Amino acid sequence: MEKYDVAVVGGGTSGLTALRQLSNLGKQAVLLEAGSTTGTKNVSGGILYSKKPKNGRVYNIEDVFGREFIDEAPYERAITQYILHATSRDKLYSIDLTPVHEYQINYAYSVLLSRFVPWLAKEASDMSEKMGGGVISGVHVRSIRWETGSNDTVIETDELEPFRVRAVIAADGTNSELADVTKARNKFSSEQLYQGVKVVIKLPETILEDRFNITSEEGAAHLFAGDVTMNHIGGGFLYTNRDTISLGAVYHMDSMMENPVEPSRLIDALIRNQFVAEFIKDRVPTRKANQALISKDEEIRQHFMAVKLLKAWNNLRSDYYSRDGIKRLIESGKFKTKEEIEGRINNLEKELVEKYNCEFGDNYVELEYSARLIPDGKRCRMKTPYYKNVLFVGDAAGRGVFIGPRIEGLNVGIDDAVRAANAVARSLDRNNFDEQYLGSFYTKSVEESPYTRDMKEIDKEYLKIFLDCSKHIPKDIVGSRYGMIFKLMSSSTLRGIAVGFANMLGFDRLLPMVESVDTYVNVPIEIAERLGRHVDSNYIPNTPSLQERIAKLDYDDDSVPHIQVTKPRSEFMQKMVSLCPTRCYSSENGDVILQHEGCIECGTCAYETLWRHPRGVKGVSYKYG
Amino acid sequence: MPVRPLNVGVIVKLEPDFSEGNVSYNPDGTLNRAETKNILGPHSAAATLAAFYCKVKYDARVAIGTMGPPIANQALKQAQIISNADELHLYSDRIFAGADTLATAEVLRLGVSRMNNGLGADIVISGHRASDGETGQTGPQTAWKLGYPFIGNVIDFQIDQENRSIHAKRFILLYGFYDVIEEIQAPLPVFISADPSYKPSFDTVSERLSLARNLNEARSKAENFEKYLQVYNSEALGADPRFVGLPGSPTIVYKVEKIPKAKAKRRVEFIDGNDTAQLDMAAEKLLQLMTEAPIK
Ligand SMILES: Cc1cc2nc3c(=O)[nH]c(=O)nc-3n(C[C@H](O)[C@H](O)[C@H](O)COP(=O)(O)OP(=O)(O)OC[C@H]3O[C@@H](n4cnc5c(N)ncnc54)[C@H](O)[C@@H]3O)c2cc1C
Ligand code: SF4
Repeated sequence: MEKYDVAVVGGGTSGLTALRQLSNLGKQAVLLEAGSTTGTKNVSGGILYSKKPKNGRVYNIEDVFGREFIDEAPYERAITQYILHATSRDKLYSIDLTPVHEYQINYAYSVLLSRFVPWLAKEASDMSEKMGGGVISGVHVRSIRWETGSNDTVIETDELEPFRVRAVIAADGTNSELADVTKARNKFSSEQLYQGVKVVIKLPETILEDRFNITSEEGAAHLFAGDVTMNHIGGGFLYTNRDTISLGAVYHMDSMMENPVEPSRLIDALIRNQFVAEFIKDRVPTRKANQALISKDEEIRQHFMAVKLLKAWNNLRSDYYSRDGIKRLIESGKFKTKEEIEGRINNLEKELVEKYNCEFGDNYVELEYSARLIPDGKRCRMKTPYYKNVLFVGDAAGRGVFIGPRIEGLNVGIDDAVRAANAVARSLDRNNFDEQYLGSFYTKSVEESPYTRDMKEIDKEYLKIFLDCSKHIPKDIVGSRYGMIFKLMSSSTLRGIAVGFANMLGFDRLLPMVESVDTYVNVPIEIAERLGRHVDSNYIPNTPSLQERIAKLDYDDDSVPHIQVTKPRSEFMQKMVSLCPTRCYSSENGDVILQHEGCIECGTCAYETLWRHPRGVKGVSYKYG
Repeated sequence: MPVRPLNVGVIVKLEPDFSEGNVSYNPDGTLNRAETKNILGPHSAAATLAAFYCKVKYDARVAIGTMGPPIANQALKQAQIISNADELHLYSDRIFAGADTLATAEVLRLGVSRMNNGLGADIVISGHRASDGETGQTGPQTAWKLGYPFIGNVIDFQIDQENRSIHAKRFILLYGFYDVIEEIQAPLPVFISADPSYKPSFDTVSERLSLARNLNEARSKAENFEKYLQVYNSEALGADPRFVGLPGSPTIVYKVEKIPKAKAKRRVEFIDGNDTAQLDMAAEKLLQLMTEAPIK
């Protein structure tokens, strides 16, 4: 049996950071990733933060990947605006939370993981190869075991011969199979999870910049609370990428279980919010059926011609609204001036309208639909994030900062990964993998992380900045209970006492009070209604059906289902009929039946099923993530 | 004792791309070789993959050779992308023209001996056959000339470097009977031809790491593949003019059949699957076509 020093399971941001850090420390490690290539299975919102807390230190991505990261990594935009909107049906009240966003940060970049993760993978594997390790994708780790009389761990996969390692870093995400196999923790329950649903929307670069009032070096984040979540605890987000928008929402699973609504319908509600609709609006062609009596042959000819022209129009327009694109077109000699390109676009439009029954109007262009569970670190972070010589990091360890508008999992997983890699390197140096030496050391390191502090208690300073930003909201706005809290918090002397009291209660007891439909839905609606301005959109976005959304995704179907239903009649499984984002479940004579083919591996149904990731290469592959 | 490094030689062939739209014919119906796009033939690609397997699994040194006009170097570049080859050989000379399989085998024999810095090859791999009028004899004849045992239709193999032997599985199709997988052990050096279905599998962590490394290397090598290219003419190979080209070809071509020129006559008709009247019409048409079709 082959033997390596370390196995890292999972090639998301956490796993790749662990691999790179181990390589930086001169250690040999092999990373196994189930997706056909790295980055095809990862979903995020996603803003990646680099932070500089006042107390304690966190490890940021550039600490591991070097300065090259800032210059070379394919991130989308530096997020420089951060605005929260309270929404009601047709009103909106905005609060500029940029100071909250900028609290203790070096920078924040929007990222699309399917582009971003492969860069990390290349950087990590180049370094790791020098140490005799590297990245292996298309391999699904099925199990791990310990042989009697040996400290080594045997890694078993669906694709490769088993091999031995001395330590394991489990970076296999929220539905960690390693956590299941080792029983290092229970499966996360609905109380501990949020369901994230997201669409990526196309919007040409300079149109996007004009609309969000940003330069090419800037980016915007908009958050939504109120009626957009259809009565669920949670909120919406809109992040600008280079020439796309990430629009999504997170919903507390408990409130989804209480009031099950199909995730695709929820995202439709967000898209149709008048304010959001205006943000994502673009000029979109549609083709009407031909009324004139023409032969089938002629109809086909026209169809192909129209498709060809539409493609030309689309490409030219994308270039026209992009700085590099215009430069490319003019340098290629095809066009002399910007006006000439514009003329050509107009002519194409004219031809399409006059000859090919096309219409150009307001709509939006959706590129990808995705969903994933997110662990709420306040409720589910592993208190001892290890089992024997297996260290859990990132989502697999249930670690994420989820407070108010903050959704931070990427940076937390990166910080964990460095701590885990450091702990493992130390054990390799001393050839000591005992729990006291490895696991306890890692636990202590993680406990020291400022991110862990954020998962345990309220940060007074952060709260102050937050309240300062919302100071224009009259204190009497919300029912006496919240008004009272608000008043308490707004006074600097009383705030200290109130926060102290809250922290004494602990998040466990505090959360059910604070995270409620009232605070997440009713209060924002009331704010919007009383203080907000009217918003009006001149069109209703034509959202695709779920079938169309699924059809756009890439799958490599596994003939063997990776999920087994064990309780077809349970209340939980009945709810999956609505809550599976790709409607894989249906109900027949009271039994819930699974059709796994459209599964996007979000993990929502995992709690009461035998749930695994598909075998290597199989399943969904995201293009944006 | 450190094992002797493994040297692999592959012989490939540049072939016309027979996929639709890429073939060009002369007015008399023969293949217009100058106009037809050329690619590394699918059988040669299988042989190249087998060499890549040796590279990944045994860290072998790989040389790839082809006899042909200078444009054949495109096939060599393609082969390098597939196999991360260390040497690319082009055996090219006017006097090689008109060669039959035996005369080709002579050139290839000489080529193989020049491979891998003149060390030759412990395993020579060829494709099963080519698709442009080759008869599947070049491989066995080259093996015969080299004096190596020949194993055809190989679908899987392992090398024992210490004992210098090969353990190969070969696929034998007995038409209308049943299929056999034969296992053969033979000493090195050996000549194998890769079955068209050959697909290497990499089942251990070290193989997969080596695979990733080799794929990366291959990509960067092929970017300036000329650096790895060695061109040999008849003299450089030390060929005896009596055994190469037309003089070295005893084959008498009895009759050449023209390539049946398939003039695209297909017509597409779209049928709305929801319209029963259209479906009826389609069924009738199919029935008519089937009854009219000549049965050969
Ligand atoms: C909608 C949404 C919005 C979010 N927004 C933000 C945000 O704005 N900012 C932020 O910081 N965070 C955000 N997050 C959270 C963040 O995306 C995650 O915390 C982060 O991606 C987790 O990274 P990870 O590497 O720990 O896990 P993952 O990215 O889940 O990676 C796990 C990897 O392991 C692989 N794997 C799993 N099991 C196996 C196995 N058995 N064998 C081999 N491979 C396996 C998977 O294929 C996958 O690639 C958001 C999440 C969602 C869903
Ligand atoms: S079947 Fe389960 S894991 Fe798959 S998409 Fe549906 S809820 Fe998510």
